[in-house]
Amino acid sequence: MPITTEFEYVKPKDMDEALHVFSLYREKARALAGGTDLIVHLKENLARPEVVVDVKALEELAGLDLKGGVLHIGARVTFSELIASAVIKGKFPVLWEASLTVASTGVRNRATLAGNICSAVPSADSAPALALYDAEVLTLSVKGARRIPIADWFTGPKKTALLPEEIVTAVELKLPGKKHGGCYMKLARYDGEDLAQGGIAALAFPDNTYRVAFCALGPKPSRCPAVEAVLNGAKLGEKLLVKAGEALLAEISPISDIRSSKEYRLHMAQVMLGRCLETAVARLFGKGPKYGNGNIC
Amino acid sequence: MKPHLIQFTLNGEKVSLTVEPSDVLLDVLRGRLGIKSPKVGCDRGDCGTCTVLMDGKTVRSCLALAVEAHGADIVTLEGANSRKWTQKLQKKFHEKNAFQCGFCAPGVILSATELLEKDPNPTAHEIKEAIAGNLCRCTGYEPIVEAIEETVKGK
Amino acid sequence: MDLQKLITKPKKAARPEKTDDALVTVGKSVQRVDGWEKITGAAKYTDDTEFGPGLLYAALVESPHAHAKIISIDTSAAEKARGVVKVVTGRNFKHKFGLYMNDRYIFANDVVRFVGEQVAAVVATDPKAAMRAAELVKVEYQELPAVLDAVKAFEKDSPLVHPDLKSYTHVPWFFPKPGTNIAHWRKIRKGDLAGGFNKADLVLEDTYQVPRYAHCAIETHSAIGLYDASRRLTMWTSSQSPFTQRHVFAETLKAFGLSHKDVRVISTYIGGGFGGKAGVTMEIIAAALAIAVPGRPVKLLWSRAQEFYNTYQRLGCTAKIKMGVTKAGKITALDFKLHWDAGAYVEYGANVVNAAGLSASGPYKVDNLSIDSMCTYTNLPPCGAYRGFGYSEFLFGLESHITRMATELGIDPVKFRKLNAIQEGDTLPYGAHMNPTGIRQAIEKVEKEIRWGVKEKSKDPKKVIGKAQVCFWKSPAMPPNASSSAFLKFNEDGSLNILVSGMDMGQGLLTVMAQIASEVLSVPVTKIRVETPDTDRNPYEWQTVGSHVTWGCGNAVKRAALEARERIFDLVQRVHCLDKSTLYVENECVKCRTKPDFALRFSDFVINGIQADDYTFKGGPIMGSGVFMPEFASAISDPETGQGGHPNVHYTTGSAGIILEIDKETGKMKIKKVALAVDCGKAINPDLVKGQIVGGLLQGFATVLYEDMRYNEKGRLLNPNFSDYKIPTVMDMPDEVVPIIIEVAQPDGPYGARGVGEHTMIPCAPLIANAVADALGVRIKCMPVTKEKVALAVKAAKKN
Repeated sequence: MPITTEFEYVKPKDMDEALHVFSLYREKARALAGGTDLIVHLKENLARPEVVVDVKALEELAGLDLKGGVLHIGARVTFSELIASAVIKGKFPVLWEASLTVASTGVRNRATLAGNICSAVPSADSAPALALYDAEVLTLSVKGARRIPIADWFTGPKKTALLPEEIVTAVELKLPGKKHGGCYMKLARYDGEDLAQGGIAALAFPDNTYRVAFCALGPKPSRCPAVEAVLNGAKLGEKLLVKAGEALLAEISPISDIRSSKEYRLHMAQVMLGRCLETAVARLFGKGPKYGNGNIC
Repeated sequence: MKPHLIQFTLNGEKVSLTVEPSDVLLDVLRGRLGIKSPKVGCDRGDCGTCTVLMDGKTVRSCLALAVEAHGADIVTLEGANSRKWTQKLQKKFHEKNAFQCGFCAPGVILSATELLEKDPNPTAHEIKEAIAGNLCRCTGYEPIVEAIEETVKGK
Repeated sequence: MDLQKLITKPKKAARPEKTDDALVTVGKSVQRVDGWEKITGAAKYTDDTEFGPGLLYAALVESPHAHAKIISIDTSAAEKARGVVKVVTGRNFKHKFGLYMNDRYIFANDVVRFVGEQVAAVVATDPKAAMRAAELVKVEYQELPAVLDAVKAFEKDSPLVHPDLKSYTHVPWFFPKPGTNIAHWRKIRKGDLAGGFNKADLVLEDTYQVPRYAHCAIETHSAIGLYDASRRLTMWTSSQSPFTQRHVFAETLKAFGLSHKDVRVISTYIGGGFGGKAGVTMEIIAAALAIAVPGRPVKLLWSRAQEFYNTYQRLGCTAKIKMGVTKAGKITALDFKLHWDAGAYVEYGANVVNAAGLSASGPYKVDNLSIDSMCTYTNLPPCGAYRGFGYSEFLFGLESHITRMATELGIDPVKFRKLNAIQEGDTLPYGAHMNPTGIRQAIEKVEKEIRWGVKEKSKDPKKVIGKAQVCFWKSPAMPPNASSSAFLKFNEDGSLNILVSGMDMGQGLLTVMAQIASEVLSVPVTKIRVETPDTDRNPYEWQTVGSHVTWGCGNAVKRAALEARERIFDLVQRVHCLDKSTLYVENECVKCRTKPDFALRFSDFVINGIQADDYTFKGGPIMGSGVFMPEFASAISDPETGQGGHPNVHYTTGSAGIILEIDKETGKMKIKKVALAVDCGKAINPDLVKGQIVGGLLQGFATVLYEDMRYNEKGRLLNPNFSDYKIPTVMDMPDEVVPIIIEVAQPDGPYGARGVGEHTMIPCAPLIANAVADALGVRIKCMPVTKEKVALAVKAAKKN
């Protein structure tokens, strides 16, 4: 199926050139990295840019490294690169687990983490993990650089804090200071590739503190401070999970759509929260299923 | 719109041609370069039948602009036919009557080739993961998975 | 009198049939003859065909409304657009067409009847130009009230989709009701229904719902047409039905001076069919466009979205069942009302309704039977053939109902099925008699395989395990005179080319045809090429549908091979003076029983003849032709009772069982094991039969677990893509699939074979529904049986 909309294509070799194009074209420019969302939108006339800016030649967007407790993921790093990275698998296992649930190999070989959060669909698989690891989104424009906490990044369905003249250069995650177990539970219609109908991610620490975040259960992915408040300081148990589940219901606002009903999402949010936390705790103690296994509900 | 002259390697041969920015790689391969093994299936990255190897990695050629191929090394099944793992896989696929209509076969074979070139001893789960993005409506996948497993075991 | 019995009575043949042990190729899992082509990427599909730089591309203008009057069409802006060669509308094509009922136009004429219906087309020099120009065509509509539900369409005050139904022509076995939305009403009345219900100890009545489904062949439809300067129309189509297409093209376009000989249809490999590429859908548009731009090839390639909303879909069905059963478990009466949502045009779909109506008793002996199978027009996309042809739909209700009734009576559901299972010679719903069948063996083998009767517990306390076993049957649905034919010719080296027009859409027809010829002629399969159809060169085949080609086309190929063998024997008798009856073929040679050292290699004479003592040559190229038509079939019966004809040639039966693990909280289901036994008469190639079982089961399970076409209240399809119409991936395979082949020979089948392609899909829905009920005590009566429905039903049951 051809793309009928017409646009110019540029592939800047350096950042100045790229930023200049974005400052000139603003909303009418679209960044192309993996293209796995953009090209679908071009084909379906959902995007009609005047210029497509291929950012893959920008060296500033490369790089996947952990320094001083901060993981830097360049904007052109693909999900396949994340999955292949020992650092991600070892130190940020929830991001690793979530990355494995994004589409399929042939898509992940091009699709980037930065692209995933720029598309900003409520079901973005990577978002709950980024929330758990206190991620910040690094942006750049001719006006300068910004660091945007992931909590402020998503502003609504398919909406972000990115300004028209800006591009995302990287995402940075903070290594939790202590040992942890984690999990990303995803609700899908089957075990194959699917968009999340709900996602819960959790980290569990030896001191009985927890971090919890969700996607696809509200207009934007988010951490769950109320759930964490209920959990923190206590050992997991049936009663605690019931209370945490109740707290979760106050933090999510799922809708009914073609993929799932609100009723089922509410039900599953609680079920997944319990299972996700139990798995995270089990993994903390070296038990439970391996990362990347048994996390599709 | 400004056309672009692109040059890339296609199945080991240098090609150069002029494309529009909106031209999709799959359409250029099929329509302009006579390469027919990547098929049009869903045109939005869901089915995997348009799979090609781009710099050694499987990508959806329906989700790539042709201009992005500039400077790349692109291999389709026509070119992969001479690769070691592709040939081993094909032998097994043939033996086991692994495909029916055959429309998904080029994509499946390239996905399996990518996997085995990276890791000749994948687990059963990794095999499935590698071809999970290649939809097949005929076979129920069983003979395909078995053929890859047997290729790995060198049976 | 049952004509089939006469036909199939074994005649004293001059050459007795080989016994099963003597078979060399038939019954062996040889490798596919199209294997290498497909796995090297060499196999060419329709859209892979090259037409050079002169090729034109078409894009459509489609209706945004479910039901509307076309007030005006303004094509002027489109005509002026860059690259546009022609804009075509319904004005140019006034002739109605259809397979069984003429109710469609090539382009909507005055009224559009579903969202996505073609109103006009733009032909341009490149696809982008065509699509851009199509957006410039302005169509003014006046919306009409639409009906989107078959049961509502049945009501008196419903809007009429086809007010002129009375004037439509159709096959004589259809019974439309003008003035309503009923396009065809198949009635079966057998025995004494009221008496049957009186005899019952338990009567249960309920309604089951089945939505629409999509085939989702990975290759979409495509067609290229060329109407050349000699006024000849050549069509390259991705089709299961090249000859039927040729007929429809010739009939529909005869106003342009075309006759059948002027129309040629070429079908290469097709990337999956499943019934969706049977008959004629979008191909007629390409044919019309070719006529509109003479001298230039024009291509129409369906997008995935169009594949969903403008080819045939599987019919939706609301099934109302009332069944009576005695305490002992005998079915005494069945009253089955099937309301089919067949869509805006039913030229093919009405025959699905007909087929289901003839057979909705399922594979059971039901003496007192009433079936009303009603084909209803709605303002949704047209429906037609889909693997299973109506049987999946009625089996969901019927097999769910049987398990419920057996359970309520305290009878083991499998025992119940054995008790009522149909046997050879039993009277069928329409009065003819049942063919030989291995349904009992099938039930017993499956029962064993799934350890029926043994309760199992999941290792995971959150999960439970349920089991179910059901039966199925299906007959090819075809006109009584649907026929097959084959040509077979030898080459210099003794290899063979076989020409048929049955399509290999993946099931392996070409391989099976090679095996049959190989068996007769002793030529190895590797030396046989079987070509895909070209209606100019290959002989006639009605269509590749209904799981009938192994049987029909197989019979034709066998006859062609036998004819070629006769010619060989005649020649050898004539030249070598050997008595024909002593001759036989083996290892590509003619041999003689009375003269052990005589062996004449095929390659020595099949083209160039045999040299006689006087140095002259006798013989010449050896060829054979074969034709098959089921001469015992007839579709004419009493419209009020359905009694009297012999519409179905035979039934393939079987049974399937499942061990299903279900997560009580999430509703997620995992198929731990599924076993399916099918009586295919004779498995010509067991590997390919297993392929049908494994593939068909996964396709069937998908329809019950997650697939579902969803429409909004305006009749627009909401999920015309694989992101939201989920078809299974490799991650969604059952843990274990056990294919079981039963072989009770079909007397008139080649080597006893009968069809198997569709049957493997049709038992899946009731398997899941019954296993869920077995494990959790909740009954889902509306497909699909998604995890969401299961989880919420369990939650609701807990509350109560």
